Amino acid sequence: MTISRRQLLLTTTAALAATAVARSAFAGLPTLEVKDTYKVGFAQTESNNPWRLAQTNSMQAEAEKRGWQLVYTDAAGSAAKQVADVNSMIAQGVDLIFLAPREEIPLIPAIKAAKGAGIPVILLDRNVDQSLAKAGEDYVTFIGSDFIEEGRRVAEWLVNNKPGGGKIIELEGTAGSSPANDRKEGFDTFIADHASFEIVASQTGDFARDKGRQVAETLLQAHPDADVIYAHNDEMAIGAISAVEAAGKVPGKDVLILSIDGGREILQLVIDGKVAAVCECNPRFGPKAFDTAAAYANGEDIPGKIINPDNFYDASNAADLIDTAY
Amino acid sequence: MAAGSRPSQKPDRPIYAFLDRYATLIVLVLLILLNIAITPNFLSVQTLNVNLTQVCTIVIVAVGMTLVIATGGIDLSVGSLMAIAGALAPMIFMGKIFGIEHVGLAVGLAIILSVAVAGALGAFNGWLVATFHIQPIVATLVLFIAGRGIAQVMTNGNLQVFSVPEFQFIGLGRILGLPFQVIIMAVVVVWAAWMLRRTVFGRQILAIGGNEKAAELAGVPVGRVKIAVYAISGLLAGIAGLIVIAINSASDANLVGLGMELDAIAAVAVGGTLLSGGRASIWGTLLGALTIQIVRYTLLANGVPDAAAMVVKAAIIIAAVWIQRKARAS
Repeated sequence: MTISRRQLLLTTTAALAATAVARSAFAGLPTLEVKDTYKVGFAQTESNNPWRLAQTNSMQAEAEKRGWQLVYTDAAGSAAKQVADVNSMIAQGVDLIFLAPREEIPLIPAIKAAKGAGIPVILLDRNVDQSLAKAGEDYVTFIGSDFIEEGRRVAEWLVNNKPGGGKIIELEGTAGSSPANDRKEGFDTFIADHASFEIVASQTGDFARDKGRQVAETLLQAHPDADVIYAHNDEMAIGAISAVEAAGKVPGKDVLILSIDGGREILQLVIDGKVAAVCECNPRFGPKAFDTAAAYANGEDIPGKIINPDNFYDASNAADLIDTAY
Repeated sequence: MAAGSRPSQKPDRPIYAFLDRYATLIVLVLLILLNIAITPNFLSVQTLNVNLTQVCTIVIVAVGMTLVIATGGIDLSVGSLMAIAGALAPMIFMGKIFGIEHVGLAVGLAIILSVAVAGALGAFNGWLVATFHIQPIVATLVLFIAGRGIAQVMTNGNLQVFSVPEFQFIGLGRILGLPFQVIIMAVVVVWAAWMLRRTVFGRQILAIGGNEKAAELAGVPVGRVKIAVYAISGLLAGIAGLIVIAINSASDANLVGLGMELDAIAAVAVGGTLLSGGRASIWGTLLGALTIQIVRYTLLANGVPDAAAMVVKAAIIIAAVWIQRKARAS
C-alpha cells in the first residue's frame, strides 16, 4: 500500500488533533507548584490612558511587594502584537501569565498555546469568547469589574438621594461595547422599578468628552426639564458639565451629574460639587490578581469569575479618598 | 432628465437652475419649520446658541476647504492639522516647551505659534501639489495619516487637561452676548466671501479651478496661488483645533478633528460649490454646514440614534450633487 502525501498529512493532522483534544480533556488546567517566588508575565493591551497606567502600576507594585519577577509587555492596542507577546512569555518560561485580552476572539490561540505549554493564564478586566474558551478548562479565571453592577449602584444612589424623582438624560458609551451595554442595562433595569424616575433621552456620546458635550447640549435643549445626567464614563460626564453650564444652569444644583470610572479629575469635581456621585471602575488589579495566583498554587478552588471590588464616591467621602483615586 | 425629448426639456431648465441656486436655503428653511413643529423648545435663543457654537469649527474649516476645492483640489489633512494645533498649544501655555511666567504672553505665543505651524503644514501641502504636481488627494493624504501620528507622539497619546481662562476665551468667551467662536466664524466667512468676489486673488483661485492651463497662459501665478490656498486651509484648521480644545478644557490628540475633513467636504458639496473647481460659494458652504448641523440636531433631539443621522447626512449630499448635475446639464 502506498501512502500519498495527502493521506499522510490528513492522518498526522487528525492524530495531532486527537492528542490535543485528549490532552485538554484529560489534563485540564496546568498546575502551579508552590514556590517562594514566581516569574509571572503581564500582557497589557495598551497604555494610552490613566486607567491602563494605573492598572500597570498596581501590577508592578504588587510584584515588587511580593518579590516576584514580572515580565511586562504592552501590545499598544494591537491584538496581533498581544498574541506575539504571550508567545514570547511562553518562550521565556514564565510560571503564570496575567492577560488583559484586547479582543474576545483573537486572543484565544494565545490562551491555548499557554495551556499547551503548561502555563496557567488568568484574565484581567476583559473576558474572552465563552464558546471558545472556558474558565477552569482553558484559563484559570477572569478577574474584573461587574459593569452591570456599576450601573445599578449609580441608579441606587440616585433613587436614595433624590426622593422627589427626576427626569434623566443618559449618555451612553460607544454603541455595542460591553461596558456601554452593561452599564445601561444595570442602570435602566433599576430605574424601571421606580416610577418617579424617567429616562427622557438616551444617546451615545462615544465615551468622548467633545461628543458627550455636544450630545448633552442638544438633549438639554430638547428636554429642559431634565434634572439628572447619567454618563457611562468620566470623560462624557466632564463634557456634560460644560453643556449644563452653557445652558445657564448650575451643575450639582439644577442638574445632578452621575458618572462611572472614578479618575482623579472627576473626584475633584465631586469635591467641587459639580458631580454628584461616581461609581469607580477599579483599575487596581495587583492584590487580587497575585492573591488568586497564590491561591491557585496552593490548590484552592478558584471560581470562574472574580469580581474586583469598586469604590463608590459622593460628597461624603470624595475628599478623603481622592489620594487613593487613579 | 426625462427621456431627452426636446420640448419637455425646456420647462425643466429654470426649475433646476432655481433649485441649484436656492436648494440648500429651501432645505434649511423647511428643516427649521419642521423643528418648530415637532421639536420641543426649538424656538429659543439657547437653541440658536447651541447650534451656532456646534457648527462653528465645521464652518471655519469648510471655508478653507471651499477655497481649496475652488482651485480644483481637496484637503484631507485638516482634521490632523487640528490635532497638531490642539496638541501644541497646551504644551506651550502649560510651559512644557518654554518656561514663560506671564500667562498672557504664554497664551498669545501658544495661539500664534500653533496656528502658524498648522498654516506652514498647509503650505507644505500646497508645495507638494504646486511644485511636484502630485494629485491633491494623495498629497494631503500624507499629512492626513502622519499629522495625527505627530500629534500623538508629541503628547505620548495622553490627554492634556488644563484650566486657563485666558486661553479658553476663544471657546467659551462672549462679546456683547455673542459667543467669541461665533464671531471668529462670522469674520472668517465674511472675509472669505469678500475675498473670493472682490479681489484679484479670489478671481485667480476661480480661474485656476475653471481651467488651469488657460489661467497659467493668462499669467496667473498658479503655483503661488495654490500654496497660499492650502496655507489658508491649514491656518483655519489650526484655529478650529484651538476652539475645540478650549471648549473642552482638554486636548486629546486621538480625537481632536477626527472625521473633520469629511464633514467639511460634505458642507462644501451641499453648499453648491463644484467639487471639480471653478465655481465656489462661501455663503453656500455656510448654509450647507448649517443644514447638516440642523439635521443632526433634529434627529438627536427627537431621540433618533446617531447612526441614523449619518445615513440622512449621506442622503442630503447625494441630493445636492444630483441637483448640481441636473443644473449643469440643462
